Amino acid sequence: MKHTVKKTLVASVASALVMGGTVAVAAGMDVPIIKATPVLEGLDKPWDMAVRADGTMFFTEKCKGLSMRSPNGQVTNIYGMKGSSGYSSSGADLFCEGQAGMMGVAPDRNFDQNRRLYVASTSDKYHGSGCKSNFERCDGNIVMRLTLSEDLKSVTDRTDIVTDIQYKPFESNQPFGGPGAHNGGRLRVGPGGYLWIAGGDRHRGVCPQSPKLLCGKVLRVDTDGNAHPDNNPPAGFDKRIYTYGHRNVQGIDFRPSDGKAFTAEHGPWHSDEITALVNGGNAGWDPQEMTAGRGACPDKYCGYEPEQMDGMDPAVRASYMPMSDTRFDDLMPPTWNNNGWSQGTSSAAFLKGENWGIYEGRLATGVLGIGFGGTPIGQRIDMVGITPDGLGINAITRMPVGFSKRFRGLVMAPDNSLYVAVDEGEIYRITATSQQ
Amino acid sequence: MLNLVGLIAVGVALALPQVAIAGDAAAGDHRYHQSCHACHGPAGKGVSSYPKISGNPVEYTREKLKAYRAGQKIGPNSGLMIMMAKPLTDEEIENLSAYLKDAKYEK
Repeated sequence: MKHTVKKTLVASVASALVMGGTVAVAAGMDVPIIKATPVLEGLDKPWDMAVRADGTMFFTEKCKGLSMRSPNGQVTNIYGMKGSSGYSSSGADLFCEGQAGMMGVAPDRNFDQNRRLYVASTSDKYHGSGCKSNFERCDGNIVMRLTLSEDLKSVTDRTDIVTDIQYKPFESNQPFGGPGAHNGGRLRVGPGGYLWIAGGDRHRGVCPQSPKLLCGKVLRVDTDGNAHPDNNPPAGFDKRIYTYGHRNVQGIDFRPSDGKAFTAEHGPWHSDEITALVNGGNAGWDPQEMTAGRGACPDKYCGYEPEQMDGMDPAVRASYMPMSDTRFDDLMPPTWNNNGWSQGTSSAAFLKGENWGIYEGRLATGVLGIGFGGTPIGQRIDMVGITPDGLGINAITRMPVGFSKRFRGLVMAPDNSLYVAVDEGEIYRITATSQQ
Repeated sequence: MLNLVGLIAVGVALALPQVAIAGDAAAGDHRYHQSCHACHGPAGKGVSSYPKISGNPVEYTREKLKAYRAGQKIGPNSGLMIMMAKPLTDEEIENLSAYLKDAKYEK
């Protein structure tokens, strides 16, 4: 026994030395060369992209519409919004306002066969009798399933598969208080080909915890807009809901190792968050007035309180209006909270491929940059290493792209490069080259 | 004698037309990058839901910044602008107005 222990110990030490040496070499050697190259410039508020294996890139511009860049660099305007010109066709119901407009785009997993794209946009087609005030239902966000022509330059069919995501129709007494606020809008196709739709609370206090309103939710639906059969929201909730209690999700992607969904969302003057989603879970955002010890709030929304127009210690504000309220038993605790700051986390994408070296598998997270009340502006892309249980981080490194801009949309391309849209009007292709 | 000189000086000053001191565009550029760039984008081009603020006459920008500094609401993001304008001095407003008049984003 003694001998066995000794042998095991020696083997363990030897193994540790070898492994430690390997890790050390890897850590020292496999830091990839990262390079950003502009793909398109002079765009108007580019928001999201979808890239095919041959380099074809579909992209949205928030107030113009959907376009396609061919591998040879030629740009074709495919489907415009109300008032757009130069598009093959347009949707007269599609409009932009404030933070809202044409937003997420994602390809069907069988795109090569069916040429289907999913696109999120603001629309006035389904307002019905609603939308007369900020305190009633206003169905103003939709998800369209577009079928493209064989040359991918026009739309041959549009089917609206989700038509009842809420929109903020009027100005309110909040920072960023214009119509269209907190509109979420990112789309991604996840495991099994199901569509994930990330939403925002549209500055309405009751939204995130409401069982029926789709604002402040992440939805998981099939390609016809029906609920995934395994969605498990609380009893009485709309079955399309995968998670609820969100503030404004603009980033969602799936960890390559296990398919687990993670979101990135903006915080309220504090605590931007990355969250590991749990089927039916609660992200813990509840900005209702007269709730959790809070009194009346401006326009019934406590989301920036207290003293919403003045800077204060983010931790003090967080104790009054938490991003992830621990009074909820089904709370999904955040993976990361940006050290308690709000700088505007937007899109997120897991870095795939050995070319990313030591950063392979990390979650690239775009930060728009908001410098309020003494918070550093912080425009950057972070590469966040997430623990296997999804409940914490084990590394965080700023991506060395050589510039700071408002990083709005991030998506991986099939060639394992990262495409990045910035509010300034450019789309970049970021490549990583392994040094091993 | 001194009183006479003082009176003459005051008289000359009153007789001269009022001339605003021109802002320093370079100083305005520096100040812009401290407080305004993150929202309004490079050279005041306007990004996301934040409007374009370059290309306007100096008088226009000066008037708006002074109004925000005084706490006046002008549009849905006034809360943010009132906070950002509060600490600005008259000189900084002149400098920002001078910079934004001709600022251009070339990409």
